[in-house]
Amino acid sequence: MNDSPADSHDRARQSQATGDGIPTNPFASRYIRPGALPYHFQQGEDAATLIARLQALGWWGQITGPHGTGKSTLVAALLPKIERACRRPLLITLHDGERSLVAHRRRLARCDAVTLLVIDGYEQLSPWNRFWLRRACRQRKCGLLVTAHKPVGLPTLTKTAVDAALARNVLYELHPAATAEHEAVLSRSLLAHSSNLREALFDLYDLEELRRRR
Amino acid sequence: MTLAELNLSFHDERTEFAPGETLTAEYFAGESCSAEVEALEISVLWFTEGKGDEDFAVHYFQRTETSEAAPVDFRQPRQFSTMLPNSPLSYDGVILRIRWCVRLRAFLTRGKQLVEQRTFRLGNVPVARAVLP
Repeated sequence: MNDSPADSHDRARQSQATGDGIPTNPFASRYIRPGALPYHFQQGEDAATLIARLQALGWWGQITGPHGTGKSTLVAALLPKIERACRRPLLITLHDGERSLVAHRRRLARCDAVTLLVIDGYEQLSPWNRFWLRRACRQRKCGLLVTAHKPVGLPTLTKTAVDAALARNVLYELHPAATAEHEAVLSRSLLAHSSNLREALFDLYDLEELRRRR
Repeated sequence: MTLAELNLSFHDERTEFAPGETLTAEYFAGESCSAEVEALEISVLWFTEGKGDEDFAVHYFQRTETSEAAPVDFRQPRQFSTMLPNSPLSYDGVILRIRWCVRLRAFLTRGKQLVEQRTFRLGNVPVARAVLP
């Protein structure tokens, strides 16, 4: 059984004649979560060039960037390409305060020479756990790709960043009928949240709700 | 690329139901894709939509597969019914929505999938009002 809330979002969003009469909000998390929103590569970069770069780095690398600049979205975009490059990606997403990998021990036990271990939120780990993980990856000859807000001592694959033009593109991708009011809120939010696009999109969610209920 | 041609409709075109009522729907695959369909899955589920993490649960599920031993003509309309539960009720909130839908998923050859979805309302909870700053 494959049902998930993320299925057929685009179809659902395009279909305004919903049977339940409840309009959808184009900035809801289902539309902006990693994997739902395509990653906007920087000039001269695409998934293939990043995979080639990662391969040249011996399948070890870090993706760094501030909060809400698309690190997890980039990982989601790279995963299928990693599989095509004959590596088996194993994604582990760490959440606030998750300082060890104990909860993921069973999955980690499956790592081998064709695995690319992808740790989203690597800096959550304690220094000891980072050391242990890197040593385990070397011993098993598996690759390691991590995301972090600051460099963590691995070769840099790429750095994520959000500028006004990219944010505007994302706005119109999500909401083709966006107005000057949306653009103004987006600009203000990016300034207020240090270019954190996720937070800016949630501010747009609130704007959309207010506009609907005015 | 295969054009989507899945047909899904509510009996009597009803889209509002009270808790405990029976929902009946009909579904079939159109001519353009029926030959490629290996299986159809029909499900009735609720999901949340909003600013936070998503949640969902499947209330009804049925899968129909075709095989050489037991071929199925997916062009033939199939009907299903299910009694709807007492909760959660459909809700149109400011930071959270709860939505019910019937979802039809077709598994095609070469691993492709098609999805058709119809939302409906369970219960009659009024629309939430935003508190203006």
